[in-house]
Amino acid sequence: MNYLWDNLFRKSKKDEEVRSRLASNILFKDLTSKELRFVEQIVHVRSYHAGEHVFRQGEVGVGMYMIMSGRVEIFIDDADPVKETSAEIFITQLLANDFFGELSLVEENGRRTASAICRDETVLIGFFKPDLMEIVKRSPIVGIKILFRLAEVLGRRLKETTEKVSDLRGSIRELRTPPPTTSVDEGRP
Amino acid sequence: MKNRQLQELESRLRRERIIKLFAFLSMVFIPLFVLFTVDNLLASFVFAFFANYLLGPFVNLLERRGLNRNLAILIPFAATGALVAFGFYEILPRLAQQALSLEAKLPSYQVDLGNLVASTSHRFSAFANMYHVDINETVSSWLMAQTAHLSSALPSALSGSLTVLLLAPIFSYFMLADGRGVSKQLLTLVPNNLFEMALNLSHQLNEQMGAFIRARFLEAAIVGIVVWLGLQISGFPYASLLGLFAGITNLIPYLGPLIGAVPAILIVLISPDAAITDSTGLNLLILTSIYFAAQLVDIIFVIPLLVAKIVNLHPVTVIIVIIIGSKLMGILGMVISIPVASASKLTVQAFYDHILEFRG
Repeated sequence: MNYLWDNLFRKSKKDEEVRSRLASNILFKDLTSKELRFVEQIVHVRSYHAGEHVFRQGEVGVGMYMIMSGRVEIFIDDADPVKETSAEIFITQLLANDFFGELSLVEENGRRTASAICRDETVLIGFFKPDLMEIVKRSPIVGIKILFRLAEVLGRRLKETTEKVSDLRGSIRELRTPPPTTSVDEGRP
Repeated sequence: MKNRQLQELESRLRRERIIKLFAFLSMVFIPLFVLFTVDNLLASFVFAFFANYLLGPFVNLLERRGLNRNLAILIPFAATGALVAFGFYEILPRLAQQALSLEAKLPSYQVDLGNLVASTSHRFSAFANMYHVDINETVSSWLMAQTAHLSSALPSALSGSLTVLLLAPIFSYFMLADGRGVSKQLLTLVPNNLFEMALNLSHQLNEQMGAFIRARFLEAAIVGIVVWLGLQISGFPYASLLGLFAGITNLIPYLGPLIGAVPAILIVLISPDAAITDSTGLNLLILTSIYFAAQLVDIIFVIPLLVAKIVNLHPVTVIIVIIIGSKLMGILGMVISIPVASASKLTVQAFYDHILEFRG
């Protein structure tokens, strides 16, 4: 049975949940509880069905999403213009507390480089460039704290990508170098 | 099996999107319909909208200094109130004095205007007789009709202005305090597939509208000050009143500067004071130069630096939308036609980019 006070406190419980999710996210790690309340008023909570796209590869992206509950999978569309075929390549699966799309916070009209699809009924917290700009305008200290952390995250992603590229380069080099051929006479007395 | 599930999901999503979009559009268009149909509501809203964008930067500045948002809103409101009170106390008596002196001289101006019309009628009598038109009679009857209309419309106009004066600050306060919350609530109704586009668009519209309104007001203030300064230096009467009028009418695109100059030119043409009318026409030349200088400052410096960059519309489009605005809503329509056209262009562009260009 639902009581009236259940409804009365529902919103504040949801707000509290949003705040705790924000507090556990690296971008908002340095914020005080008052600052978190301020950010919580600005972010957007969105619900998605299982199988629904959050965004599609190639769309203009304006911000990032944090997973409150549910599961999101990231895919890239591997289109072959010659054969006119396209295949979805699975990249990763993200769970509660993970976040994605943060590069769009600093890009100018940047396009999404992958598609995000919800695999369960999912609730996401959206944090977008206009929100970040509003924070910077209204409370620059909070804005700086978030931007520092964002720079750290992007730097880390860049480092990971560089490492992956150098690994791939190594693998390509290994594939290109022909295996040492063994001579027929080798080992003969 | 998987395809069937996918189809079910697609149809469910489509249904939800349509419902959400319908709810969103209803929440936007029903208030707009109310605004356009209820008396004085649109004017109050437009004034509140302007005040919201003019005071917004000050509110943000105070909020940045650590003040609570409500207090940050109250301070500029109190300051504006004090400024208006000061205006009433200091400037209004001067304006009233000028208005009273203008009123006292109105009968003589009326006689002189009659003479001007009579002499013009005499000069063009040959031409007018061809068409059997008595210019003097026509102008007099038109003036009589206008005066009668003015006296009947004045009480309702006064009560309307009072309603606007009361409603506009209240609307403006709530726009500053809850505007973001309302816009966030509205965005919750936008379907997921359009959400990012809608959020970005609302941000762009907000920025563009704010910049445009602030630029137009700064432009009006500059024109008003240049006219007032010019008239003051040349010793022309009613300088403050005419400067204020020129500034306000400058908000009307294209026609505004001309309307703003009409009272001063009429005074020069029909004033009983010989020093003002000046048979050599020197005063008329000075007066025209002052208004021309104000427009030059506006066209050369203010518009290219402030206004043109904000509204990306072709000059022909601007003229067309002003004509449409004037036909639909008179002077208010002329004032709001450019920002409305600019916002519409931005919206159409965003939808075009999102739906047509990407989804092809």
